[in-house]
Amino acid sequence: MAHQAHAYHMVDPSPWPLTGAVAALLLTSGTAIWMHFNSMSLMSLGMILLLLTIYQWWRDIIREGTFQGHHTPPVQKGLRYGMILFITSEVFFFLGFFWAFYHSSLAPTPELGGCWPPTGITTLDPFEVPLLNTAVLLASGVTVTWAHHSIMEGQRKQAIQSLTLTILLGFYFTFLQGMEYYEAPFTIADGVYGSTFFVATGFHGLHVIIGSSFLAVCLLRQVQFHFTSKHHFGFEAAAWYWHFVDVVWLFLYISIYWWGS
Amino acid sequence: MFRAVYRLTSAGARSLVRTRPGYAAPVASRCYSHGKVETDEEFDARWVTYFSKPDIDGWELRKGMNTLIGYDLVPEPKVLDSALRACRRLNDLASAIRILEAVKDKAGPHEDIYPYLIQELQPTLAELGISTPEELGIDKS
Repeated sequence: MAHQAHAYHMVDPSPWPLTGAVAALLLTSGTAIWMHFNSMSLMSLGMILLLLTIYQWWRDIIREGTFQGHHTPPVQKGLRYGMILFITSEVFFFLGFFWAFYHSSLAPTPELGGCWPPTGITTLDPFEVPLLNTAVLLASGVTVTWAHHSIMEGQRKQAIQSLTLTILLGFYFTFLQGMEYYEAPFTIADGVYGSTFFVATGFHGLHVIIGSSFLAVCLLRQVQFHFTSKHHFGFEAAAWYWHFVDVVWLFLYISIYWWGS
Repeated sequence: MFRAVYRLTSAGARSLVRTRPGYAAPVASRCYSHGKVETDEEFDARWVTYFSKPDIDGWELRKGMNTLIGYDLVPEPKVLDSALRACRRLNDLASAIRILEAVKDKAGPHEDIYPYLIQELQPTLAELGISTPEELGIDKS
Protein backbone atom coordinates (compact mmCIF):
# COMPACT_ATOMS: atom_id res chain seq x y z
CA MET A 1 0.00 0.00 0.00
CA ALA A 2 1.45 3.38 -0.97
CA HIS A 3 2.36 5.91 1.76
CA GLN A 4 3.20 9.59 1.46
CA ALA A 5 6.69 10.75 2.44
CA HIS A 6 5.40 14.12 3.70
CA ALA A 7 2.98 15.49 6.32
CA TYR A 8 0.69 17.33 3.95
CA HIS A 9 -2.80 16.42 2.82
CA MET A 10 -3.25 15.59 -0.85
CA VAL A 11 -7.03 15.74 -0.93
CA ASP A 12 -8.94 13.05 -2.83
CA PRO A 13 -10.97 14.17 -5.85
CA SER A 14 -14.29 15.63 -4.72
CA PRO A 15 -17.44 16.80 -6.49
CA TRP A 16 -18.35 19.39 -3.87
CA PRO A 17 -16.42 22.35 -5.27
CA LEU A 18 -18.26 21.87 -8.54
CA THR A 19 -21.67 21.47 -6.93
CA GLY A 20 -20.88 24.53 -4.83
CA ALA A 21 -20.03 26.55 -7.91
CA VAL A 22 -23.19 25.40 -9.67
CA ALA A 23 -25.19 26.28 -6.56
CA ALA A 24 -23.66 29.77 -6.55
CA LEU A 25 -24.63 30.25 -10.18
CA LEU A 26 -28.19 29.02 -9.62
CA LEU A 27 -28.57 31.14 -6.48
CA THR A 28 -27.44 34.36 -8.10
CA SER A 29 -29.26 33.99 -11.39
CA GLY A 30 -32.23 32.50 -9.54
CA THR A 31 -32.44 35.56 -7.30
CA ALA A 32 -32.37 37.83 -10.34
CA ILE A 33 -35.13 35.79 -11.97
CA TRP A 34 -37.16 35.86 -8.78
CA MET A 35 -36.92 39.64 -8.67
CA HIS A 36 -37.90 40.15 -12.31
CA PHE A 37 -40.09 37.23 -13.31
CA ASN A 38 -41.73 36.16 -10.07
CA SER A 39 -40.39 32.59 -10.08
CA MET A 40 -38.56 31.04 -7.14
CA SER A 41 -37.64 27.75 -8.80
CA LEU A 42 -34.06 28.46 -9.80
CA MET A 43 -33.23 30.19 -6.52
CA SER A 44 -34.74 27.34 -4.48
CA LEU A 45 -32.82 24.78 -6.51
CA GLY A 46 -29.64 26.75 -5.86
CA MET A 47 -30.41 26.89 -2.14
CA ILE A 48 -30.97 23.13 -1.92
CA LEU A 49 -27.79 22.42 -3.84
CA LEU A 50 -25.88 24.83 -1.59
CA LEU A 51 -27.13 23.16 1.58
CA LEU A 52 -26.26 19.71 0.22
CA THR A 53 -22.79 20.94 -0.75
CA ILE A 54 -22.21 22.49 2.67
CA TYR A 55 -23.31 19.36 4.49
CA GLN A 56 -21.31 16.92 2.42
CA TRP A 57 -18.13 18.97 1.94
CA TRP A 58 -17.70 19.73 5.60
CA ARG A 59 -18.73 16.17 6.55
CA ASP A 60 -15.89 14.96 4.34
CA ILE A 61 -13.43 17.35 5.99
CA ILE A 62 -14.46 16.02 9.39
CA ARG A 63 -13.95 12.46 8.14
CA GLU A 64 -10.51 13.33 6.72
CA GLY A 65 -9.37 15.08 9.90
CA THR A 66 -11.01 13.29 12.79
CA PHE A 67 -11.18 9.74 11.46
CA GLN A 68 -8.46 9.46 8.84
CA GLY A 69 -5.77 11.49 10.58
CA HIS A 70 -4.97 13.81 7.70
CA HIS A 71 -4.89 16.97 9.83
CA THR A 72 -1.28 16.84 10.90
CA PRO A 73 0.30 19.94 12.51
CA PRO A 74 1.35 21.55 9.22
CA VAL A 75 -2.09 20.84 7.75
CA GLN A 76 -3.73 22.36 10.79
CA LYS A 77 -1.48 25.41 10.44
CA GLY A 78 -2.74 25.83 6.89
CA LEU A 79 -6.33 25.58 8.11
CA ARG A 80 -5.58 28.27 10.69
CA TYR A 81 -4.18 30.58 8.03
CA GLY A 82 -7.23 29.87 5.93
CA MET A 83 -9.68 30.76 8.67
CA ILE A 84 -7.77 33.90 9.54
CA LEU A 85 -7.71 35.01 5.91
CA PHE A 86 -11.41 34.29 5.55
CA ILE A 87 -12.31 36.27 8.65
CA THR A 88 -10.10 39.12 7.42
CA SER A 89 -12.02 39.16 4.15
CA GLU A 90 -15.24 39.34 6.15
CA VAL A 91 -13.85 42.30 8.06
CA PHE A 92 -13.40 44.10 4.74
CA PHE A 93 -16.91 43.10 3.74
CA PHE A 94 -18.33 44.85 6.79
CA LEU A 95 -15.93 47.76 6.38
CA GLY A 96 -17.75 48.57 3.15
CA PHE A 97 -21.09 48.86 4.90
CA PHE A 98 -19.60 51.00 7.65
CA TRP A 99 -18.12 53.23 4.94
CA ALA A 100 -21.56 53.58 3.41
CA PHE A 101 -23.07 54.41 6.79
CA TYR A 102 -20.49 57.05 7.66
CA HIS A 103 -20.56 58.55 4.16
CA SER A 104 -24.28 59.16 4.51
CA SER A 105 -24.42 60.06 8.19
CA LEU A 106 -21.45 62.45 8.45
CA ALA A 107 -22.74 64.54 5.53
CA PRO A 108 -26.53 64.14 5.41
CA THR A 109 -28.10 65.47 2.21
CA PRO A 110 -30.78 68.18 1.98
CA GLU A 111 -33.36 65.49 1.16
CA LEU A 112 -32.87 64.18 4.70
CA GLY A 113 -33.08 67.66 6.18
CA GLY A 114 -29.31 67.99 6.37
CA CYS A 115 -29.35 66.18 9.69
CA TRP A 116 -28.78 62.72 11.13
CA PRO A 117 -30.93 60.94 12.09
CA PRO A 118 -32.88 62.17 9.09
CA THR A 119 -36.09 64.14 9.54
CA GLY A 120 -38.99 61.84 10.23
CA ILE A 121 -36.93 58.87 11.40
CA THR A 122 -37.67 57.62 14.92
CA THR A 123 -34.55 55.78 15.95
CA LEU A 124 -34.44 52.86 18.36
CA ASP A 125 -33.40 53.69 21.90
CA PRO A 126 -29.84 52.39 22.18
CA PHE A 127 -30.29 51.71 25.87
CA GLU A 128 -33.19 49.32 25.46
CA VAL A 129 -33.09 46.07 23.42
CA PRO A 130 -29.88 46.98 21.57
CA LEU A 131 -28.05 47.25 24.91
CA LEU A 132 -29.48 43.90 25.99
CA ASN A 133 -28.25 42.45 22.70
CA THR A 134 -24.81 43.80 23.45
CA ALA A 135 -24.84 42.13 26.87
CA VAL A 136 -26.04 38.87 25.33
CA LEU A 137 -23.23 38.74 22.79
CA LEU A 138 -20.57 39.77 25.28
CA ALA A 139 -21.81 37.05 27.63
CA SER A 140 -21.67 34.54 24.79
CA GLY A 141 -18.05 35.54 24.25
CA VAL A 142 -17.39 34.61 27.85
CA THR A 143 -19.21 31.27 27.59
CA VAL A 144 -17.42 30.28 24.39
CA THR A 145 -14.09 30.98 26.10
CA TRP A 146 -15.26 28.89 29.03
CA ALA A 147 -16.09 26.11 26.55
CA HIS A 148 -12.62 26.35 25.04
CA HIS A 149 -10.92 26.04 28.40
CA SER A 150 -13.18 23.13 29.29
CA ILE A 151 -12.17 21.32 26.12
CA MET A 152 -8.48 21.99 26.75
CA GLU A 153 -8.81 20.69 30.29
CA GLY A 154 -10.70 17.58 29.24
CA GLN A 155 -13.83 18.62 31.11
CA ARG A 156 -16.45 17.04 28.89
CA LYS A 157 -19.59 17.97 30.78
CA GLN A 158 -18.60 21.60 31.28
CA ALA A 159 -17.61 21.88 27.64
CA ILE A 160 -21.04 20.68 26.58
CA GLN A 161 -22.81 22.97 29.05
CA SER A 162 -20.89 26.12 28.16
CA LEU A 163 -21.08 25.46 24.43
CA THR A 164 -24.82 24.88 24.73
CA LEU A 165 -25.17 28.13 26.68
CA THR A 166 -23.22 29.98 23.99
CA ILE A 167 -25.55 28.69 21.32
CA LEU A 168 -28.63 29.55 23.38
CA LEU A 169 -27.33 33.11 23.83
CA GLY A 170 -26.82 33.28 20.07
CA PHE A 171 -30.42 32.20 19.51
CA TYR A 172 -31.62 34.70 22.10
CA PHE A 173 -29.79 37.48 20.21
CA THR A 174 -31.36 36.39 16.94
CA PHE A 175 -34.81 36.23 18.55
CA LEU A 176 -34.45 39.69 20.11
CA GLN A 177 -33.18 41.16 16.86
CA GLY A 178 -36.07 39.56 15.03
CA MET A 179 -38.50 41.22 17.42
CA GLU A 180 -36.73 44.56 16.94
CA TYR A 181 -36.97 44.21 13.17
CA TYR A 182 -40.68 43.45 13.42
CA GLU A 183 -41.44 46.33 15.78
CA ALA A 184 -39.12 48.95 14.27
CA PRO A 185 -40.84 52.22 13.32
CA PHE A 186 -38.85 52.36 10.06
CA THR A 187 -38.17 49.94 7.19
CA ILE A 188 -35.35 49.24 4.75
CA ALA A 189 -37.21 51.46 2.27
CA ASP A 190 -36.99 54.50 4.53
CA GLY A 191 -34.24 56.37 2.74
CA VAL A 192 -30.57 55.89 3.29
CA TYR A 193 -31.16 55.50 7.03
CA GLY A 194 -33.26 52.41 6.45
CA SER A 195 -30.85 51.07 3.86
CA THR A 196 -27.72 51.44 5.94
CA PHE A 197 -29.42 50.20 9.11
CA PHE A 198 -30.97 47.05 7.72
CA VAL A 199 -28.18 46.06 5.33
CA ALA A 200 -25.47 46.42 7.98
CA THR A 201 -27.43 44.86 10.85
CA GLY A 202 -29.02 42.35 8.47
CA PHE A 203 -25.72 40.97 7.26
CA HIS A 204 -24.56 40.93 10.86
CA GLY A 205 -27.63 38.91 11.84
CA LEU A 206 -26.92 36.48 9.02
CA HIS A 207 -23.41 36.05 10.39
CA VAL A 208 -24.82 35.41 13.87
CA ILE A 209 -26.95 32.62 12.38
CA ILE A 210 -23.96 31.21 10.51
CA GLY A 211 -21.81 31.43 13.64
CA SER A 212 -24.48 29.78 15.78
CA SER A 213 -24.75 26.97 13.23
CA PHE A 214 -20.98 26.50 13.26
CA LEU A 215 -21.04 26.30 17.07
CA ALA A 216 -23.98 23.87 16.94
CA VAL A 217 -21.99 21.57 14.69
CA CYS A 218 -19.12 21.80 17.19
CA LEU A 219 -21.53 20.86 19.97
CA LEU A 220 -22.63 17.75 18.05
CA ARG A 221 -19.00 16.86 17.45
CA GLN A 222 -18.05 17.43 21.09
CA VAL A 223 -20.88 15.13 22.19
CA GLN A 224 -19.59 12.52 19.75
CA PHE A 225 -16.03 12.69 21.12
CA HIS A 226 -14.45 14.23 18.02
CA PHE A 227 -12.35 16.76 19.95
CA THR A 228 -9.27 16.04 22.06
CA SER A 229 -7.81 18.39 24.60
CA LYS A 230 -4.93 19.11 22.23
CA HIS A 231 -6.66 18.97 18.85
CA HIS A 232 -9.95 20.77 18.31
CA PHE A 233 -9.32 23.23 15.54
CA GLY A 234 -12.91 23.11 14.27
CA PHE A 235 -14.01 24.48 17.61
CA GLU A 236 -11.28 27.13 17.62
CA ALA A 237 -12.31 28.29 14.17
CA ALA A 238 -15.92 28.55 15.33
CA ALA A 239 -14.85 30.49 18.41
CA TRP A 240 -12.75 32.89 16.34
CA TYR A 241 -15.72 33.46 14.03
CA TRP A 242 -17.99 33.99 16.99
CA HIS A 243 -15.67 36.63 18.51
CA PHE A 244 -15.53 38.35 15.11
CA VAL A 245 -19.34 38.46 15.03
CA ASP A 246 -19.34 39.96 18.53
CA VAL A 247 -16.80 42.64 17.58
CA VAL A 248 -18.79 43.59 14.48
CA TRP A 249 -21.84 44.00 16.70
CA LEU A 250 -19.91 46.30 19.06
CA PHE A 251 -18.97 48.53 16.11
CA LEU A 252 -22.56 48.44 14.84
CA TYR A 253 -23.90 49.31 18.27
CA ILE A 254 -21.56 52.23 18.81
CA SER A 255 -21.81 53.61 15.26
CA ILE A 256 -25.39 53.03 14.16
CA TYR A 257 -27.39 52.55 17.33
CA TRP A 258 -25.64 54.96 19.66
CA TRP A 259 -23.79 57.66 17.69
CA GLY A 260 -26.33 57.46 14.88
CA SER A 261 -29.25 58.20 17.12
CA MET B 1 -18.36 87.69 19.01
CA PHE B 2 -21.89 86.71 19.84
CA ARG B 3 -21.24 83.05 19.61
CA ALA B 4 -18.44 83.16 22.12
CA VAL B 5 -20.84 84.64 24.64
CA TYR B 6 -22.95 81.52 24.75
CA ARG B 7 -20.28 78.91 25.25
CA LEU B 8 -20.79 76.53 28.10
CA THR B 9 -17.85 74.47 29.27
CA SER B 10 -18.18 70.78 29.78
CA ALA B 11 -16.48 70.99 33.13
CA GLY B 12 -18.91 73.36 34.72
CA ALA B 13 -21.65 75.81 33.95
CA ARG B 14 -21.00 79.40 33.06
CA SER B 15 -23.88 81.82 33.28
CA LEU B 16 -25.30 82.87 29.95
CA VAL B 17 -24.51 86.49 29.21
CA ARG B 18 -26.95 88.80 27.48
CA THR B 19 -25.97 89.65 23.98
CA ARG B 20 -24.54 93.14 23.50
CA PRO B 21 -22.37 94.52 20.72
CA GLY B 22 -18.85 95.13 21.92
CA TYR B 23 -18.91 92.39 24.56
CA ALA B 24 -15.46 90.88 24.93
CA ALA B 25 -15.26 87.17 24.25
CA PRO B 26 -14.46 84.90 27.18
CA VAL B 27 -11.76 82.24 26.87
CA ALA B 28 -12.46 79.35 24.47
CA SER B 29 -14.58 76.67 26.02
CA ARG B 30 -12.50 73.55 25.46
CA CYS B 31 -10.86 72.62 28.74
CA TYR B 32 -7.59 71.03 27.73
CA SER B 33 -5.14 70.73 30.60
CA HIS B 34 -2.33 71.34 28.13
CA GLY B 35 -1.94 72.21 24.47
CA LYS B 36 -2.48 75.35 22.48
CA VAL B 37 -5.90 76.97 22.74
CA GLU B 38 -7.34 78.34 19.50
CA THR B 39 -8.52 81.95 19.56
CA ASP B 40 -11.91 82.95 18.22
CA GLU B 41 -10.24 84.63 15.26
CA GLU B 42 -8.25 81.49 14.45
CA PHE B 43 -11.41 79.41 14.70
CA ASP B 44 -13.29 81.71 12.33
CA ALA B 45 -10.37 81.87 9.88
CA ARG B 46 -10.09 78.10 9.85
CA TRP B 47 -13.75 77.69 8.93
CA VAL B 48 -13.73 80.51 6.37
CA THR B 49 -10.78 78.75 4.73
CA TYR B 50 -12.57 75.40 4.85
CA PHE B 51 -15.60 76.68 2.96
CA SER B 52 -13.48 78.77 0.59
CA LYS B 53 -11.88 75.75 -1.04
CA PRO B 54 -12.57 76.41 -4.73
CA ASP B 55 -13.29 72.77 -5.60
CA ILE B 56 -15.12 71.88 -2.40
CA ASP B 57 -17.57 69.07 -3.07
CA GLY B 58 -21.08 68.53 -1.77
CA TRP B 59 -20.00 65.98 0.79
CA GLU B 60 -17.38 68.30 2.25
CA LEU B 61 -19.89 71.16 2.41
CA ARG B 62 -22.46 69.07 4.25
CA LYS B 63 -19.82 67.54 6.54
CA GLY B 64 -18.43 70.98 7.37
CA MET B 65 -21.87 72.34 8.15
CA ASN B 66 -22.78 69.40 10.35
CA THR B 67 -19.53 69.70 12.27
CA LEU B 68 -19.93 73.47 12.64
CA ILE B 69 -23.53 73.18 13.81
CA GLY B 70 -22.41 70.58 16.33
CA TYR B 71 -20.34 73.16 18.20
CA ASP B 72 -21.74 75.06 21.14
CA LEU B 73 -21.83 78.40 19.30
CA VAL B 74 -23.59 80.35 16.57
CA PRO B 75 -21.21 80.79 13.61
CA GLU B 76 -19.99 84.25 12.74
CA PRO B 77 -21.41 85.99 9.65
CA LYS B 78 -18.08 85.71 7.86
CA VAL B 79 -18.08 81.93 8.26
CA LEU B 80 -21.67 81.69 7.06
CA ASP B 81 -20.84 83.94 4.12
CA SER B 82 -18.09 81.54 3.10
CA ALA B 83 -20.45 78.58 3.44
CA LEU B 84 -23.17 80.28 1.39
CA ARG B 85 -20.69 81.01 -1.37
CA ALA B 86 -19.69 77.34 -1.34
CA CYS B 87 -23.38 76.48 -1.81
CA ARG B 88 -23.43 78.85 -4.78
CA ARG B 89 -20.43 77.13 -6.35
CA LEU B 90 -22.20 73.82 -5.88
CA ASN B 91 -25.57 75.07 -7.16
CA ASP B 92 -27.10 73.93 -3.86
CA LEU B 93 -29.81 76.46 -3.01
CA ALA B 94 -31.52 73.98 -0.68
CA SER B 95 -28.46 73.76 1.55
CA ALA B 96 -28.04 77.54 1.52
CA ILE B 97 -31.53 78.09 2.89
CA ARG B 98 -31.08 75.17 5.31
CA ILE B 99 -27.99 76.90 6.71
CA LEU B 100 -30.14 79.89 7.60
CA GLU B 101 -32.67 77.63 9.33
CA ALA B 102 -29.89 75.88 11.21
CA VAL B 103 -28.29 79.03 12.61
CA LYS B 104 -31.66 80.33 13.70
CA ASP B 105 -32.09 77.08 15.63
CA LYS B 106 -28.59 77.32 17.09
CA ALA B 107 -29.41 80.71 18.59
CA GLY B 108 -31.97 78.96 20.75
CA PRO B 109 -33.86 81.31 23.05
CA HIS B 110 -31.72 84.32 22.03
CA GLU B 111 -34.05 85.77 19.45
CA ASP B 112 -31.96 88.79 18.54
CA ILE B 113 -29.07 86.80 17.07
CA TYR B 114 -30.79 85.56 13.91
CA PRO B 115 -32.04 88.98 12.73
CA TYR B 116 -28.54 90.31 13.31
CA LEU B 117 -27.04 87.54 11.17
CA ILE B 118 -29.55 88.14 8.37
CA GLN B 119 -28.78 91.86 8.55
CA GLU B 120 -25.04 91.18 8.23
CA LEU B 121 -25.57 88.67 5.42
CA GLN B 122 -28.09 90.78 3.47
CA PRO B 123 -25.60 91.87 0.79
CA THR B 124 -24.47 88.29 0.25
CA LEU B 125 -28.02 86.94 0.17
CA ALA B 126 -28.94 89.57 -2.41
CA GLU B 127 -25.82 88.92 -4.49
CA LEU B 128 -26.30 85.16 -4.53
CA GLY B 129 -30.06 85.28 -4.87
CA ILE B 130 -30.77 83.36 -1.66
CA SER B 131 -34.21 83.82 -0.12
CA THR B 132 -34.64 83.50 3.62
CA PRO B 133 -37.03 80.90 5.05
CA GLU B 134 -39.22 83.82 6.20
CA GLU B 135 -39.44 85.24 2.68
CA LEU B 136 -40.43 81.80 1.40
CA GLY B 137 -42.98 81.34 4.16
CA ILE B 138 -41.43 78.07 5.29
CA ASP B 139 -40.45 79.28 8.74
CA LYS B 140 -43.89 78.42 10.09
CA SER B 141 -44.57 74.70 10.59
